[in-house]
Amino acid sequence: MPTLIQNLKARLGIFESDADQVYGLLAEFPDPGALLHAAEAVREDGYRHFDTHSPFPIHGMDEAMGLGNAVGVGFFTFGGGVTGFAAAYLLQWWTAAVDYPINISGKPFFAVEPSVPIMFELTVLFAAFGAVAGMLALNGLPRPYNPLFYSDRFRGASDDRFFLHVAASDGQFDVEDTAALLQRLGARHIELVKDDGSADV
Amino acid sequence: MADEINRSSFLKWLVDPIESTNDVAKRAYRFVGNRRVWLVPLALGIALLTVSALGLVQSPEDFFFAYLAGWSFLLTTALGGLFFLIFNHITRASWSVVVNRINETLVWAFPLLLVLGVPLLFGMHDLYHWTHEALYDPSSPQYDEVLAGKRAYLNVPFWSVRIIVYFAAWTLLSYRLYTFSLRQDVDPDPELQKKLRSTSAWGLPLLAVTTAFASYDILMSTDPHWFSTIFGVYFFAGGTLCAVAVISLVTLLLQRTGGLLQNVVTPEHYHDLGKYLFGFVIFWAYIAFSQYMLYWYGGIPEETVWFQHRLRGGWAWHSAVLVLFHFLVPFLILLPQITKRSTVVMSIMSVWIIGMHWFDLHWIVLPVIRDGGGFHWLDITCWLGLTGIFAGALMYRLGRHPLVPQNHPYLGESLQFENM
Repeated sequence: MPTLIQNLKARLGIFESDADQVYGLLAEFPDPGALLHAAEAVREDGYRHFDTHSPFPIHGMDEAMGLGNAVGVGFFTFGGGVTGFAAAYLLQWWTAAVDYPINISGKPFFAVEPSVPIMFELTVLFAAFGAVAGMLALNGLPRPYNPLFYSDRFRGASDDRFFLHVAASDGQFDVEDTAALLQRLGARHIELVKDDGSADV
Repeated sequence: MADEINRSSFLKWLVDPIESTNDVAKRAYRFVGNRRVWLVPLALGIALLTVSALGLVQSPEDFFFAYLAGWSFLLTTALGGLFFLIFNHITRASWSVVVNRINETLVWAFPLLLVLGVPLLFGMHDLYHWTHEALYDPSSPQYDEVLAGKRAYLNVPFWSVRIIVYFAAWTLLSYRLYTFSLRQDVDPDPELQKKLRSTSAWGLPLLAVTTAFASYDILMSTDPHWFSTIFGVYFFAGGTLCAVAVISLVTLLLQRTGGLLQNVVTPEHYHDLGKYLFGFVIFWAYIAFSQYMLYWYGGIPEETVWFQHRLRGGWAWHSAVLVLFHFLVPFLILLPQITKRSTVVMSIMSVWIIGMHWFDLHWIVLPVIRDGGGFHWLDITCWLGLTGIFAGALMYRLGRHPLVPQNHPYLGESLQFENM
């Protein structure tokens, strides 16, 4: 059975190879519809560590894969916003009242009123940073190395091919059984991808 | 004919210019509740206004200012609804079609509001300092050079003409948008849809200019020395926010207590109404703060005096409440997705925002006569009394027509609408 860490990583799309360095089975499907149905069937069969790859977003795929709504990004955004708000307040106060106080037309060195635009802008900026960073983190990106790159056919995932990858770290993974399931679902081509640089048909 | 003009009496026309079209309503969109339920808010409203009339004898000044705050609350809300309807037509919004009829019933309000505004004419002397003749007489000790300079604009005849022009424009616009849409229920003529859009197109700039000037004439001139060029936008922001809250609240009431519009208005639509509430809470705060910050920075006495009144004594608490409960708390509550999709939260937030919009207008109007902040009982009775009559008329219209523009070309799209 996969450990908790492995499950968490799998939710980010990062799968670990098993003891024999098997990364998983990569199945190619002829069209987006077939991939969508295959993803649904694989999930209903009890698999959790799997991912799909297609050259464009497929409507309904998140539901078919059981991904649910991306709740996490909002917390990163909110955290970024609060950080920006506080940082701008401190910036305004420290620069204007502590480090370099200048008397401008008798106004207080530091006041909330003229600081609000800065606080607003940095809230928006940091919230946007938080949203982008959170999105990347929750997607397990950037990932310069992925054993799927060993498959020559997989290059087509950014062109005109549709792939389903069932990871070896899934508790239910079995080379023969899983391959048979994928075959039944209409896979056009199945290969076993290993972490050591080989991909066997 | 179902869509004939209601000629039976002026009062009826005032409340609903079109005969009932319920007989053509499709089953799912028909109002099947108690048709007399509109009498309840109407009776409550009349009762509260009668009580307020006692206050008129006791303290006329308090009465007129309280009445002005309550009346402006309804006026801004109706104007906000008109803006909302117009920009949904112009942008060919499809999501909002299921709540369009509720908005249209809100928008046919201007003739009634004009009649409800008549008592204010008797309080002109109390409400508008610039109506005092002595201000313009150089030999009088009350002679006011500043107001004498503004006299070409701020004088009773020109003011009256302007108010009539505003109401004529708003009545014309709302009449066209209301009646074309009701005709469409009976006759799915595509020409009607074009007319709705073209009216909205020329109506938008007309509405923008008249709304801005109305805000100067009706509210800003209660403190005639003070001026703010952003005041019209502030007036618009609060009104549109309140109008969206009213649309949400009426829809929720129809669904939860009347069992109507089931599976017509879904959490997807509440989600979008919630986004509008959220957006306009921020927009209101943005405009309110812009007005405040520039005057704070300028520090010129004739500009800051208005805020001085509102930041001293008891009014400082009102200002703090506005920042917290008109902006910060609704902002944080409406920020997550889940709250906008929850009918319970949306009900609470709609009532909350409607209340805060009145609080905002109370904060604009009442400091002119009162130093210490707080409330007079007339503030509440005038507001709720007028709102009762307004709500009764709204419910009366709602019960007489299909609850959804049933032949609108985008209705199908609206019913299928999904955010995600």
